[in-house]
Amino acid sequence: MISVTPSNLQAEALDLANLSAEQTALEIRDLNLHYGSAQALYDISMKIPKNRVTAFIGPSGCGKSTLLRCINRMNDLVEICKVSGQILLHDKNIYDKDVDAASLRRQVGMVFQRPNPFPKSIYENVVYGMRLQGVNDRRTLDEVVERSLKGAALWDEVKDRLNASAFGLSGGQQQRLVIARAIAIEPEVLLLDEPTSALDPISTLTIEELITELKSKYTVVIVTHNMQQAARVSDQTAFMYMGKLIEYADTNSLFTTPDKKQTEDYITGRYG
Amino acid sequence: MRNWFKSGAPWIWLTAGSVSISLIAVLGVMAMIAWRGLSFFWPAAIHEFEVRANDGSSQVIIGEIYDSEEIPMQRLRESGVVLDGYDEETLTRVLLKVGNREFVPLDFMWVMEPQIVRDETPDTLAVVERSKDGNFYGYPLHLLENGERVASTDLRADIQQRIERAVELNEKAADLQQSDIGAINFQLNRYRLERRALELKGELTDSEIARIEAGEQQLRDDYQVLEQQLFAYREEASRDSLVVRDMRGVEVTLPMYRVLDITFPNDMGVFSKVGHFFKQIGKFVTENPREANTEGGVFPAIFGTVFMVLLMSVIVTPFGVIAAIYLHEYAGKNAITRIIRIAVINLAGVPSIVYGVFGLGFFVYMVGGTLDQIFYPEGLPSPTFGTPGVMWSAITLAILTLPVVIVSTEEGLSRIPSTLREGSLALGATKAETLWRIILPMASPAIMTGLILAVARAAGEVAPLMLVGVVKSAPMLPVDGNFPYFHLDRKFMHLGFHIYDVGFQSPNVEAARPLVYATSFLLVTVIVGLNLTAIGVRNHLREKYRSLEH
Repeated sequence: MISVTPSNLQAEALDLANLSAEQTALEIRDLNLHYGSAQALYDISMKIPKNRVTAFIGPSGCGKSTLLRCINRMNDLVEICKVSGQILLHDKNIYDKDVDAASLRRQVGMVFQRPNPFPKSIYENVVYGMRLQGVNDRRTLDEVVERSLKGAALWDEVKDRLNASAFGLSGGQQQRLVIARAIAIEPEVLLLDEPTSALDPISTLTIEELITELKSKYTVVIVTHNMQQAARVSDQTAFMYMGKLIEYADTNSLFTTPDKKQTEDYITGRYG
Repeated sequence: MRNWFKSGAPWIWLTAGSVSISLIAVLGVMAMIAWRGLSFFWPAAIHEFEVRANDGSSQVIIGEIYDSEEIPMQRLRESGVVLDGYDEETLTRVLLKVGNREFVPLDFMWVMEPQIVRDETPDTLAVVERSKDGNFYGYPLHLLENGERVASTDLRADIQQRIERAVELNEKAADLQQSDIGAINFQLNRYRLERRALELKGELTDSEIARIEAGEQQLRDDYQVLEQQLFAYREEASRDSLVVRDMRGVEVTLPMYRVLDITFPNDMGVFSKVGHFFKQIGKFVTENPREANTEGGVFPAIFGTVFMVLLMSVIVTPFGVIAAIYLHEYAGKNAITRIIRIAVINLAGVPSIVYGVFGLGFFVYMVGGTLDQIFYPEGLPSPTFGTPGVMWSAITLAILTLPVVIVSTEEGLSRIPSTLREGSLALGATKAETLWRIILPMASPAIMTGLILAVARAAGEVAPLMLVGVVKSAPMLPVDGNFPYFHLDRKFMHLGFHIYDVGFQSPNVEAARPLVYATSFLLVTVIVGLNLTAIGVRNHLREKYRSLEH
């Protein structure tokens, strides 16, 4: 059995099944998803609490990334993908016809597996989202850049070369730049899709520390392959297997006393 | 041996050999064209030969050696040429350029080497370059001013000085004719069209007639003044003339206003020869052609080629890019899109003359004819846009090169990592915003590649242009000082067509041959220049958008 020690950074456990409205950032109700004729997600229902870190874990292909990408409708880009069910953000189903995907994504930011800075300067990368919203005032943008880069723990490293190309940064710095870019438009929810899988251990550590800091301002949902990471950074963890949500509990109890056999098998390394 | 085969070494030799052969072929073509084209500008020695014929009569021939060849005696005997006292099997004969076109039946002459009894290259022999009748070879004797002989101590310096004076006056006259008198003619034509337009609309009132006539009168008065000045210049330029003794021993008077330059190539050191070489090249690329394109420069053709190619680039790039964006980003991924894509690719294989026919039928006659009827009815029956012109040429070539731009833009679009699109979309960008801000800038090197291929293809294309706008000799450039400055309805000259025209349509094939090489070399240089510019831009963009490959 691998040793998984939940850190003491975690907040006290919540009753996830009966979260009150003001504790809830997102609610997923009976979500089913098909790729063409193949079903990828089965009846997912869960409430994601506000200002906390929620981790999705599970073996490859279990649907955890797919579920994450449902939350900001990234799956819209896949033509053959059909979603049924609801995801409620402020009691509004984001899959309603009158919801604009672009404005939803301004509220629900996302960071991807590989750092994907734009071929622009560090400064322009951070203000990209602001410029999209038509903000071009230099002073406002300067403030946003400083605030976001500080928020992503990158300011001290790049403050002297904001106009240099973002490609000159290391992988870990690029990933923090992407996080800064995401928080520059002040989303409510931040989705992190295996944000450290392409990084070295030191950068991973920096990002993990950053994630625990981010939850004071944002609701963070993280998909990770790495169980230790889930244990270290998350407050509650959802274990998924074959497109189904097997178990969803606060991280401490999920890793120490899992309810389900499948969860236990997975966290003890019997498969996955 | 088997091991040698297995090691893959023969394969490497084979591939390297193919590369070498291609390289040698390219360099060989370039070297051959460059050598034959550029040697034309090198001041060749002028020989004075004494040639004795069979009957004992002798003749002096002055000229440049142009070519020489060895032929079997058998062939000469069969054609009735008999050489006494010569019994070798083969014989060398040389081709001489003797110039003096107005006095000899042919300005090129074959001379049998055994008949040459004297071969000299006297320092006092001169080549006189003239604006009419080509070069004149002979011994300058003295100068005439108003028909009176001028006594001079340093004849060459005096000739040089008077040539400069005449050339300067000629330039002034040409300037006057081109710009000032040209502008008056242009405006007179404007008035004529305006009058006709008002007449067609039935708005030609007396006051309008009076206004137009007053304007025309003003222009005519201006013209009188300018014409006086022009005559004055010409009068002044014809003051001097040069007396030269030619190879027949006759003293010929050459009016100075026709003389462009005089050189004494036999008396030149290497440095002055090099200087003269570059001066001649400079003249070739900056001057207008003379005498049915067999003399002078090719500036209008260079200008026409570059202008037409730039115009084509301006048309083809946005069209191709937009089409590629639709095909790649918006069109559904189904059979129809695939058919369209295949059709686009196949379009690149249609012979270019077919595009010319299409351009003539569709653009020139249909579109141009309709434009004329709607916008330029006053010019009819002489067409404005309903006739071949530089705009139609550019559009026809734009269609010809459209597939290249579409294909390479699409390739560029598909090479952009999808993570960047997602990154932009995740920040709340719409698809169009992502396209404008991220995708297109990153695809710009690929777009430039498409443009490079398009330019390379278009600049060398001649066949379709012959139908839609190229002419042997265009009196006016498509860009000048008269409003609206760009005259896209005008016909233009093109280097490719110039090669064809000089090489195959020229009355004087021997004289034209070096020009064909020189023009070919220039065309290649222009295309390489255009391409290098585009490649430079592309590499700059590539460096800027070096994509995430780690």
